[in-house]
Amino acid sequence: MTTHKSERGASVPAEDGDRDQVVTIRSLTKRFGELVAVDDLTFFVHQGTVTGFLGPNGAGKTTTLRLLLGLAKPSAGEALVFGSRYGELDHPARRVGAVLESSDFHPGRSGRDHLRALVLAAEIPPGRVDEVLELVELEAAAHRRVRTYSLGMRQRLSLAGALLGDPELLVLDEPANGLDPAGVHWLRLFLRRFAEQGRAVLVSSHMLAEAAQTVDQVVIIDRGRWVASGRLDEFTERGGTLEDAFLELTGGAP
Amino acid sequence: MRALLRAELLKQRSTRTGLGLLAAMLGLVLLAVLLHSLLPAEDLGGTQTQLMVFGRGEFLGALFAALLGAMSITAEIRHGTIRPTFLVTPRRGRVVAAKVWVSMLIGAGFGLAAGALAAAAGTAALRARGIDVQLDGDDYVQLVAGATAAAALWAAIGVGIGALVRNQVPTLIGICAWLLFVEGLLAGDLVGLGDVGRLLPGAAAAAISGQDPGTLLAPATGLAVLATYAAAAAVAGSITTSRHDVG
Repeated sequence: MTTHKSERGASVPAEDGDRDQVVTIRSLTKRFGELVAVDDLTFFVHQGTVTGFLGPNGAGKTTTLRLLLGLAKPSAGEALVFGSRYGELDHPARRVGAVLESSDFHPGRSGRDHLRALVLAAEIPPGRVDEVLELVELEAAAHRRVRTYSLGMRQRLSLAGALLGDPELLVLDEPANGLDPAGVHWLRLFLRRFAEQGRAVLVSSHMLAEAAQTVDQVVIIDRGRWVASGRLDEFTERGGTLEDAFLELTGGAP
Repeated sequence: MRALLRAELLKQRSTRTGLGLLAAMLGLVLLAVLLHSLLPAEDLGGTQTQLMVFGRGEFLGALFAALLGAMSITAEIRHGTIRPTFLVTPRRGRVVAAKVWVSMLIGAGFGLAAGALAAAAGTAALRARGIDVQLDGDDYVQLVAGATAAAALWAAIGVGIGALVRNQVPTLIGICAWLLFVEGLLAGDLVGLGDVGRLLPGAAAAAISGQDPGTLLAPATGLAVLATYAAAAAVAGSITTSRHDVG
């Protein structure tokens, strides 16, 4: 595990130059006026891993993911997927699947039509709609308007949208919010299997106990700054839980 | 681009928004024409007044097409679907362009329906009162074709304004307020823009359908002026959308 203690930037993740590096966040900074939401952040995500992107609420996790996905522009530094800016990928939906908000639907549109509009725009074979609906077990509700969906169903429909292009990288912001225990279990197995196929997952969370059961790599940020990163077992090797390590590192310990 | 056009068409077809707007527009066209046809018979007999009454189709067609165009983008922002939309198509200018073309197509349909309904209902109402219709075939063609063109162009203006303002409610209120009275105030005696008032987008739209030929621009000039507004709004909306962070 690498951490920085007192001196900022004294110890940041080393660039490894591996070819299996799918996400590259380097000296990334985002300012909103006076507020520095993301501050000189550097970390990497590698193929075949589920990387947990952890931090307290307001730490800058969502902003970082928005910068990575081209929805917002960095003030400085860079955020790359497969070595390119997201907007420069030829068919981004076929390489990266992402969910930032699990409620991004028109309430009056059916789940299937939501997905159909995405496959049309992404030029993905329309048959994928039924495949992903089956994958997230939403076939029976697909024709209904999203307004009738439970929170868990919306989460699964969001995930279905991210999977349409059969991507190599999944980027998920707090995907377990609103899922019941069975849904959380299903998601965990799904993400593990996804990574075992040699693909990668970057998943933000503030639910540490759940994250500890799902991820194998950890990146912790606090107030926009990199705090620590490494393999999960490096955080727990001293006998504590991920939660203990997290609270100690982010200064939240009692 | 074809893929994006098909996606935008599906988005329009897969909610009830478009049908709701169409129904509201047709209802208002009927109401406006029928209320105007209650004017005193001596007022209704003139060509000018008849063009004005039948021109309610152009006016309401343009208004509702603008609302439809604006909502094609503000509803995506409001419901958050703009995020998946831009994740799939990071080149946002292409998304805005597809919305402009699809909104123009549907807007043209709105204008055609509104123009035809206004002409038909107006004619029936005048006949029912025993008032001679002074308009000839060319006038009818111009009313309906003009309403179609005006609504298509106003749909593009709506997309541009929606992309600039982004927030749905102020966008829709702003469009309604402009067409219903702000432009009239600017062009009228109160502000007294005079001839410049003819160049405003609502007046240009009315000119295309041949209304008020003494005061307004010639139809072809009105078309050129309104097309310029539409192009400017679409380009401005596209540029802001490409530059702005998505929340």
